[in-house]
Amino acid sequence: MKKQITQRNAWDKVLAKLTKRSLWMLHYCTGCGAIELPPTMTARFDMERFGVLPMVTPRQADLLLITGYLSIKTLKRIILSYEQMQSPKWVVAFGSCTINGGMYWNSYATIKRLDMYLPVEIYIAGCMPRPEAIIESFTKLIQRIDEGKANSWKDYYTNYDFYRKNQERVFGKIETYNDIKADGEKFDIQQP
Amino acid sequence: MNTVLWIVFYPFIAFFIGIMYMGYSRKFNARVERRYGPSWIQPFYDIVKLMTKRTNISHGWMHDISLLMLLGGTLATLMFIPVPGFSYFAGYGDMLVIMYLILVPSLGMALGVGETANPNGSIGISRALMMLAGYDVPFVLSFIGMGMLNHTTSMFDLIQIQQSNGIASWGIVTNPLLGLAALFALQGMLGEKPFEVYVAPHEIATGPMSEMGGKFLGIMFITHAITIFLELTIFINLFLGGAFTWIGLIVKQLIVFTLVLSVNIVFGRYRVDDAMRFMWKIPGSLALLGIILIIFQQLRS
Repeated sequence: MKKQITQRNAWDKVLAKLTKRSLWMLHYCTGCGAIELPPTMTARFDMERFGVLPMVTPRQADLLLITGYLSIKTLKRIILSYEQMQSPKWVVAFGSCTINGGMYWNSYATIKRLDMYLPVEIYIAGCMPRPEAIIESFTKLIQRIDEGKANSWKDYYTNYDFYRKNQERVFGKIETYNDIKADGEKFDIQQP
Repeated sequence: MNTVLWIVFYPFIAFFIGIMYMGYSRKFNARVERRYGPSWIQPFYDIVKLMTKRTNISHGWMHDISLLMLLGGTLATLMFIPVPGFSYFAGYGDMLVIMYLILVPSLGMALGVGETANPNGSIGISRALMMLAGYDVPFVLSFIGMGMLNHTTSMFDLIQIQQSNGIASWGIVTNPLLGLAALFALQGMLGEKPFEVYVAPHEIATGPMSEMGGKFLGIMFITHAITIFLELTIFINLFLGGAFTWIGLIVKQLIVFTLVLSVNIVFGRYRVDDAMRFMWKIPGSLALLGIILIIFQQLRS
């Protein structure tokens, strides 16, 4: 990810300090990594300590966890869900499948690199990552939000043509219900 | 002047106390599940985050206005609840006004959620209104019973009567059946577990909240915080003798709220029809029995 120079005033810094403590994740799990989430939520690892809470609809969520391989059919639903989420929003990609295809390298039905289709904030390597690694990624994300570096979601507004082209290369023409560019102009999300 | 200050700051006080109770409830649940749990002011972080979201989706003006109706209805009800130091409006409107105003937030929510056209939301709001019809029966009956017992419909007079003779004159002692019925109704009004049919995250995706994001959900959270304060205070004013000081009020609220949370953590969720049936059968008949007892008492004297 290229280095970004952002100017933040004091109010933004205070808000970052407060909002980093509350991250709601979309409870939509796609691959085998979903099995690592129940121990992360419950008594042993308890991610609610960091304010990370599972939420059931995309409208309420800030985090989208892609837990493992993504088949083309699922990717379409993921994109629809992602576009329904309200910015700022972050994608956390689990495991090697989302980085380079992993053990599904030869599969005709899965995609290989997730960041061609959606802006990914954090990758967790491993097959599968343990709950410790997931907690580590959450703390890393919290730290990045605090420093004002977690801006990958702006990339989807400013660089939408790139993502749309890649999405249409996989699906052909698809129908999505959100006009991303108009939203970017309306809510003044212009520069990366 | 003092009254004006109270009118301005009373909603804020209610909000901050309510938000502490929300944090307390999450910490309580975490501790029972042997987790460490979030920090005490986690709901405050959540609300700040929701209110500072960069994008928002509105489904038309009815969607925007309904949330103001939700918040406004709750604040209007709050104004008629006497608390230590402030009972200006409580002298003008009595329990009948509260009985009507307390329905406004749910209706406001119904208008807005209908506008979003989300099927989960529609199911959720129909369940919420059904549940309202369920818990309103014991709630209203216990209101009427307390009025008949003390020959007044003013909540302010009711508190004074209950404070005249110590614990022996509290509503829960003079008529325990009505108090028990109102406690069941309180569980339903706060939307806690056995009667949590309209949120039901695993079943209908948080129902009325399913299409709400960002600032809309933030306003719903703020309203929920105020609602917790409001409903606990109504119960305390009716049955636990009100309070002389704010410390006393908060202690009583914490005791009642802990009771509600303890029931919440051990129970599963009722089905909608079962919840309705339970509300009308057990608390409803308890309240009716309480009223019949009062009638016999007054006939004899």
